[in-house]
Amino acid sequence: MAEQSAPQQHGGPGPGSSGPRPQGGGGRPGGPAKRGKRSFVRKKKVCRFCVDKADFIDYKKAEILGAFIQERGKILPRRMTGTCARHQRWLTVAIKRAQNIALLPFAAEL
Amino acid sequence: MEERQYDLIFICRPDTPEADVDKIIATIEHAAAEKGDKIEKTEKWGRKRMAYPVHRLREGFYVFMDLRSSHGEVVKELERRLKVSDVVIKYLTVRVDEELKRQAKLKRHRERRAARRPRKTAPAAPSPAGGEQAAATLS
Repeated sequence: MAEQSAPQQHGGPGPGSSGPRPQGGGGRPGGPAKRGKRSFVRKKKVCRFCVDKADFIDYKKAEILGAFIQERGKILPRRMTGTCARHQRWLTVAIKRAQNIALLPFAAEL
Repeated sequence: MEERQYDLIFICRPDTPEADVDKIIATIEHAAAEKGDKIEKTEKWGRKRMAYPVHRLREGFYVFMDLRSSHGEVVKELERRLKVSDVVIKYLTVRVDEELKRQAKLKRHRERRAARRPRKTAPAAPSPAGGEQAAATLS
């Protein structure tokens, strides 16, 4: 019964709004930036390690890992760097190892 | 037990004479050999600036070692030796064989995939070399 009623609910407003929808849908402000005024073209970030086809992140290469920490020494989140989940996992371990042997700072010294 | 691989890094005081560093390396190698394990390679990274001060020192003499061991006690023993040594200010032992194994596995996968791609009808390329040959003949 529930399955039957659900399509009816959807079908009900469907035919009524089918007339104005083509125009209304195009001018929708919040839609994907096709021809809107506010089109922020955000460049898709790609995982640097995937590009290099890295199977392993070496904790000894501090100069590579250094790019993934903040000035203060925090590990940058994935959303900032675009690293994929798997590589971020490896990266975190590598950074923490590097910190332990003083290749990377735990925190910026002031 | 299968053989394990460890990275052993230690940092000496920057003012240590090179001879003393060599002496420590020799001691470590000797201690490992005593337990029946071996140091595969030793790298002296030399004086490097540390990311934070350790014992109020800004620099340190880094030494890296690659240790193969089939039992864990040797790590304990080597770390104990490094701890009692006055010139060693910091040390780290990391077991790396599992990561290297994973790396090899992923690499193998990738090679197999790359080998398979050129000829789509073949079920699976027997070896990456065969796949490369096929690609060469196609092009």
